[in-house]
Amino acid sequence: MSDKVVSFARAQRRPDPARVQEFAETARRLQRERQESADVVARALRETPREEWPRLATRPDLRNSGALNRLETEVSTRLEKEPQEALLLSDLAASIAETLPPDSYPPVVLAQLRAHAWKDRAQALAYIGRYPEALEALDRAEGQLSFGSLTHDRARIRYLRALTLQKVNRFEESRAMLAECRAVFRDFGDDRLQLFCGIAEGIQLYRERAFQAAYDVFISLIEVARALGDGVSEARLLNNLGYCAIEVGAYTAARIHLSEATARFTERGLTIEAVRSDMTFGRLLVQTGQIDAGLRHLHAARGAFLMHGLSEDAGVCGLFIVEAFMASDRYTDAADLTDEITAQFSGSLLNERALVAVRHLQSAFARHVATVEIVRRVRVFIDALQTDPSLEFAM
Amino acid sequence: MVTTGSAPELDERQFEALYHEHFGFLVAVAIQKFRVPESDAETLAHEVFLSYLKDPAHVRDLNRWLLGAICHASRYYWRVNNRLSREAAEDFERIDPSTINILESLPNQIAAREALECLSPRYQEILRLRFFEGLSVPELAARLGVKKKYAAKLLTKCLRRAETLYERKGRRRLRRR
Repeated sequence: MSDKVVSFARAQRRPDPARVQEFAETARRLQRERQESADVVARALRETPREEWPRLATRPDLRNSGALNRLETEVSTRLEKEPQEALLLSDLAASIAETLPPDSYPPVVLAQLRAHAWKDRAQALAYIGRYPEALEALDRAEGQLSFGSLTHDRARIRYLRALTLQKVNRFEESRAMLAECRAVFRDFGDDRLQLFCGIAEGIQLYRERAFQAAYDVFISLIEVARALGDGVSEARLLNNLGYCAIEVGAYTAARIHLSEATARFTERGLTIEAVRSDMTFGRLLVQTGQIDAGLRHLHAARGAFLMHGLSEDAGVCGLFIVEAFMASDRYTDAADLTDEITAQFSGSLLNERALVAVRHLQSAFARHVATVEIVRRVRVFIDALQTDPSLEFAM
Repeated sequence: MVTTGSAPELDERQFEALYHEHFGFLVAVAIQKFRVPESDAETLAHEVFLSYLKDPAHVRDLNRWLLGAICHASRYYWRVNNRLSREAAEDFERIDPSTINILESLPNQIAAREALECLSPRYQEILRLRFFEGLSVPELAARLGVKKKYAAKLLTKCLRRAETLYERKGRRRLRRR
């Protein structure tokens, strides 16, 4: 469209004053609610026992867009460390959003509030491996968006759907959806979400074991992340590059990428991610024969996981150490560490199936029949439980 | 233009100014690029403004965001609109095919008038607008001040009523013979 036509239109057209007023009032109201709700939500969550959070849905001071926004933030910050709490909070948000009176906000705004509450619930469900329910929640979210102006919101929901589909190995659907979302984000000038779509495409290739193709995708996105000043995405890309490089046997490149990733995560205060990168670095060292150096990294990572209360991660890291001990004929050390891991798993609220698996390993050590293969099988099983908690350990 | 990643804290007048600044552009895009009727284009633009308010902090380039939003909203408008037209057509098809255009296909104007005379004044007016003045469903909706989907339903209802009454009248006539 020519500038001439547009400027003519700008000059000629006058909006309906009632609509301008509605927009300005809504804008001011949302802004005010956002400001007022931050403390209210934080206090309500602090002062209410976790099991009573669902009852907060009836509190009048939480029944507004600001509280929903705040809950959205609370959900995303708890996903990593407290996924069950994130799920409870997303339930609370969905229940508030669904029961807001139809005339409480303009229909478009209300539809967005509801859709995002369901999207967060889907994300929390996906985080704990309840994928079918997550997909249902995404259906609910998308079902709210019956306005043409909400294409960007729809794409955000579909982006999450694509990620969830990847987890259940529905790669073709996921790929098509990511391409569609990327096009929408490009139209809206949303470079950050375009970058996220690219990262998701790379992860999909990795899952499909197309490691070199995944490496190429990640490397092409590094500059994009840098240009956006998105240090977190840059760190994640470096980490992913490290993983891909290990798979294609480019160990030197893997070492460089992983150590850079650890440094970037640390700079950004993303301690857990930094520890995970460091653990992968330790694994790499063990894999390339530098067992003592690798063990130092793995022990440090395990200590950090335990310090942060991440029993599952600490257990998986411990099993890498057990594997390294076995590889260097330190059978007794391996058995002792397995006892320690079993005790830690017993004392935490982990999936009972994980405990069954480590007990199996413990028993194998007690009978002196433990092998590297059994250790690896237990570790892979515990890792897989994170994506499918209903898996059964085959003895 | 908002180019930062932080939420713009504006007062009411600034929000109004933002609306005035971009409104004409958005409506012009919807009308000139996508041929959306003017009143619908204004509604689309208004909805685009409202949807921007959910997450202004994440909008890095407001002009581009608004342009993307109005283009997608216009495409969506036509997708829905075409679907509605198809639904309306299906509505017609669900009636006995021989009566789809009952008034048009009646052998003569007298029979049509007789059928029309059986109806309430409002129904008469709707059928007159549609079949004698030749208004399309969207035009009819605009004239009646109702939504297109409702106008299509209303039209189907009028036709069914006319058909029922006309058949009843015919049967009575046959009995008299």
